[in-house]
Amino acid sequence: MRNKLLFGRSIDTGSWVHSVDPRAKLTGMVLYLVAIVIVGSWLALSIAAAFSLAYMAATKIPLKYYAKAAKPLWVLMVFIFVVQCLTVKQGNVLWHVGSWGLYTGGLSSGLIAASRMALLVSFTAILTFTTTPGLLNQGLAGVLAPLRKIGISAQRLTLMMSIALRFIPTILDETHKILKAQAARGADLKEMPWKEKGKMLVSLLVPVTVSAFRRAEELVLSMESRGYIIGAPRSEYHLLGWRLRDTWFVLSYVVLVAVVLMLRLNWS
Amino acid sequence: MEGTGLAFELQHVSFAYGPEHPVLNDVTFSIRQGSWVSLVGPNGCGKSTLAKLLGGLLAVNGGTIIVEGTPLLKETVQQIRPRIGMVFQNPDNQFIGATVEEDIAFGLEGRCLPREEMVDRVKRYAEKLEIGHLLSKHPAELSGGQKQRVAVAAILAMEPGIVIFDESSSMLDEKARGELLDIVSEMKQSGKYTIISITHDAEEIMASDRAIVLRDGGIAADLKPWDLFQNGELLDSCRLIAPYRVRLALELGKQGIQVPLDRSGEEVADALWQYVSSK
Repeated sequence: MRNKLLFGRSIDTGSWVHSVDPRAKLTGMVLYLVAIVIVGSWLALSIAAAFSLAYMAATKIPLKYYAKAAKPLWVLMVFIFVVQCLTVKQGNVLWHVGSWGLYTGGLSSGLIAASRMALLVSFTAILTFTTTPGLLNQGLAGVLAPLRKIGISAQRLTLMMSIALRFIPTILDETHKILKAQAARGADLKEMPWKEKGKMLVSLLVPVTVSAFRRAEELVLSMESRGYIIGAPRSEYHLLGWRLRDTWFVLSYVVLVAVVLMLRLNWS
Repeated sequence: MEGTGLAFELQHVSFAYGPEHPVLNDVTFSIRQGSWVSLVGPNGCGKSTLAKLLGGLLAVNGGTIIVEGTPLLKETVQQIRPRIGMVFQNPDNQFIGATVEEDIAFGLEGRCLPREEMVDRVKRYAEKLEIGHLLSKHPAELSGGQKQRVAVAAILAMEPGIVIFDESSSMLDEKARGELLDIVSEMKQSGKYTIISITHDAEEIMASDRAIVLRDGGIAADLKPWDLFQNGELLDSCRLIAPYRVRLALELGKQGIQVPLDRSGEEVADALWQYVSSK
């Protein structure tokens, strides 16, 4: 179970994408998100897909890893596809049952929407596969640094996020253990009807929550004993340095957004 | 290699988690620099609370704690804390970083050390604890023993003079427990550290210089570990069992073969062999 849930796991292949500044990668990711949102045609989608495939190849990480990253969200992709098919009524009718019909427009937008999601998840994996969590945090702290002006500490935010991500596998592991312990006492969730499962959820959530609080308390003690003081200045283990390559990296995304936007406007 | 100065001096220390829950009452003792002291006692006797008081994580209700000559007060706690490192029971709950190297560096970042020094210390202490090959690993990829090594490396990298182990071996398997004991023994031999271990592990107590037994919020005994293992009443009250070699040495003593209790397992086995050969 824990091997499946290695959140923030990076895979070091020594590619040039790995050495791109995390702030550039985060900015690129946001721009890619914009491009994906405004994609409205198969041509634009193909360009975005080719773009992300090129970057995936540049990371020297086998494509199957990216496919694996998108795999857990297949239910969501199917859901998006089905909703589009059910609601969009444009183009020719391909098939109909009673008053409902499957339209070519619905099928097309369903496929585009599901592909968008697949591309987004796979592409986000470029960020996590090529950046260690520490660098990612530092990059995020850099990107969010302007929030200091409105009294929000980016360092605190990223520390919270990093700890939350760090503890997800631990808490899931613990949930799994509690489920097993309950199954050993005859309360096997898998065997229960849905109504009973709902009731059992409470008896699962209570020990998991209590345990999470206990862990949090111990973590606080450990942080304090290592001299952590909220808001105190800290040096940084990972040093970030913006280079020309990082600028080109971001610019490539700007170009992608511009191309997709132009296609969108022409399409409209 | 004990120093001449005092690492800790506790004078009439009291602590309660509220009026209904007194934990420690009038506790007075001192610990020499460079010594290894075991704090033992039954569950709920206040060992971990005492460790937190010593580490400056809790404040006393009464009495005084003096750390290397400086009274531990609200005003001085931030100045004293860097001198004390604490390794806790659950290795999972003290892993702050997302990778081993980031976890070791966490405390160093708080000290505002330059990056070069942080990198040097992370590598040096990771090698020392034999986790140099794990630096880029996520905690979910490590065993309990490896995580506890990371916790020790993270503390040692901060170069404290005092290290408190709060039941640090209790969640480890036999092998990892033995390895942690070896690490603590090496620390003791280096003479750089004052070590306080809160433990139920008989081997760990035997390896230390001194055992302080806590009971009912006070000190029930302050003695050498081998004296503790000869005191049936104290052992019962702490729910401890002497290590096998100590029990064997005591039995041999009853047969007229005197083996000092601080001898190693091999030496006790030799004495047993002599006894069997003489029969």
